[in-house]
Amino acid sequence: MQFEGTERYYLSPELREIVNIAIAMEKPLLLTGEAGTGKTQLAFEVSRALGLRMEEARCKSTFKGEELCYVYDTVLRLNDSRFGSGDTGRDVNNIWDYLRFGPIGRAFLAEDRRVLLLDEIDKTDSDTQDNLLDVLEDGSFVIREINHKVTAAKRPVIIITSNAKRELSDPFLRRCFCHYIPFPPPEEMVMIVRLHFPDLPEAFLEASLTTFYRLRDQGFEKPPATAELLDWIGSMRTSGASGPGAGRETSHIGTLLKRTQDLLKFKGILKPGRF
Amino acid sequence: MIGFVYQLQKAGVPVSVQYIIEFYRALQRGLVTGLDQLFLLSRLIFIKRVEYYDIFEQVFASFFMGARDGVPGGIEWEELLAGKPFQEWLKGELESGRLTPEMVREFDTEELLARFWETVLAQQGEHHGGNTWVGTRGRSPFGHSGMYAGGVRVHGTGLYGTAQKVIENRRHINYSDRSAITTENLRQVLTSLRSLRPVGPESELDVDETISRTARNGGEIELVFCRELKNRVRLIVLMDNGGYSMTPYIALVKTVFSKIRDLFKDLNYYYFHNCIYGTVYLDPPRTQSVKWDKFLSESKSTRLIVIGDANMAPAELMASYGALDFYTSVRKPGWEWLRELRDAFPASVWLNPIPRDRWPYESATITGIGRLFHMEDLTLSGIKNAVTHLNIQGQAFDGH
Repeated sequence: MQFEGTERYYLSPELREIVNIAIAMEKPLLLTGEAGTGKTQLAFEVSRALGLRMEEARCKSTFKGEELCYVYDTVLRLNDSRFGSGDTGRDVNNIWDYLRFGPIGRAFLAEDRRVLLLDEIDKTDSDTQDNLLDVLEDGSFVIREINHKVTAAKRPVIIITSNAKRELSDPFLRRCFCHYIPFPPPEEMVMIVRLHFPDLPEAFLEASLTTFYRLRDQGFEKPPATAELLDWIGSMRTSGASGPGAGRETSHIGTLLKRTQDLLKFKGILKPGRF
Repeated sequence: MIGFVYQLQKAGVPVSVQYIIEFYRALQRGLVTGLDQLFLLSRLIFIKRVEYYDIFEQVFASFFMGARDGVPGGIEWEELLAGKPFQEWLKGELESGRLTPEMVREFDTEELLARFWETVLAQQGEHHGGNTWVGTRGRSPFGHSGMYAGGVRVHGTGLYGTAQKVIENRRHINYSDRSAITTENLRQVLTSLRSLRPVGPESELDVDETISRTARNGGEIELVFCRELKNRVRLIVLMDNGGYSMTPYIALVKTVFSKIRDLFKDLNYYYFHNCIYGTVYLDPPRTQSVKWDKFLSESKSTRLIVIGDANMAPAELMASYGALDFYTSVRKPGWEWLRELRDAFPASVWLNPIPRDRWPYESATITGIGRLFHMEDLTLSGIKNAVTHLNIQGQAFDGH
């Protein structure tokens, strides 16, 4: 199984090699890096390129880990036992009717190999991460209520992303392959933009990138990233602008800079911070 | 290969035996077909945090590519060529006839340097056990295959030149644990500080209670939720805004803390000058004072971070009436005040903008205060250690 990238996603040779190593070693791949460097996108492209189905878990801070494997719907069962399950076909005496599997559970139970994406794992608690560790390592989890062990039929390709909102614990990192995606340099950025806007005139692209990288260097609170660049170029194209403009006249600046502070700073009317 | 692992460890990268086993497993599977794969694979296996990328790249370069620290990173060509070691080596080579004046003219700088490094490396055998490893892959002397300082090509037709390119740029130097905090690595600092906050789900269904109440209700369902309450942390930041050594950091420190303000139940700044004499101030010019007793009456679970250079005249710390400031004439020596502070805030840490390795030389008072407070420097790793320390110390007082 070799991942070669897809026509929609620019894959740096380094990253391609890393994905393939992780697949070959059957290790979870943890991707970190600035927002908008295509961490999540990579998982989708891996799934597309390898023709594997995708199981996706967007993490929330309230997750405890178990719900990614399964949820035992007590309330529904209580409700059914009180009011009857009607014609839903559920049997109150059968616990399996009240177990719902989360992305990890589905990936493990599936007959085919799947791509499992745990998006923004850093939003979860460190206890949650520790719980997930064992599950991912062993490729199995136990349904506590009935002490039933679910074992992965085919080990999924696991891709985990982190925006580094919070430090991940050392044991967690130890069990993953970790890769920090650096921000793409201009030459790679050209290829990325080309994939999305194949018919963009050379001069337009060059001017946009110059402005873009200059803005990134100015130390804004939220520096514009790839996603913003693509939005920006997209909106300029739609509005039929002939070029990105320069200095304070830069068109559609709102798509690049999102924070009020940054916009004010850009427009040069930021008052000196109070001290 | 084991030598490489030990060098990583010596450079401060945490390494586990598990990694080594994993590495050999990967070799068995034939995943390494060239230097680039070796670079990526070993980085994936051994390096788990971006902070260590820079160290890793340096060690990798030194071990597998025969480069010395900082080479082929930023070479100061002029400096190097004019430098004594190179000049002496050149002289020696000419005298011994290994190099002829014609050759010197003929060779470009790269070639000369390549030979120079060769000699240096040979002399420093202990540093470069790895040369043999590369050697078995057919590196001939004098860097014909371009493995050397000047020749920035990768061995053979190296797949993409990733390793060398990455190493040369030192892209990750800003993320290195040892770098002082700047706007570039602010993000990492923030991350570390966020882990100060204990988090947990706030409500969950109490299944047992629900069932028992429902049963008592005669089957009428009653859902019972229990709240898992966790106190959010109160944090006090006490800043020395007197000494010039703090000046470059004040703005930065404030940005850092203001960004995470909402994560804490309470975040307060106080200021002091040099050492603490019974009062701290609410504002940077130190006009609004806060009563010492009131300040100390905070709950014990409050985390205290003192940021200051701890650099003062020993008398200021130890003597009664020691304050430099004429109007601050109080009898208790600074030491006593600090001890009271320390007792009032068991979960406290002192961050010092002066790099750790310079502490013993800067001032005796740093060591003195370091005995009283857990002290870290204002680097990424320092802040991380500080956070860990605060979390451990604070645990005992949470929930009171």
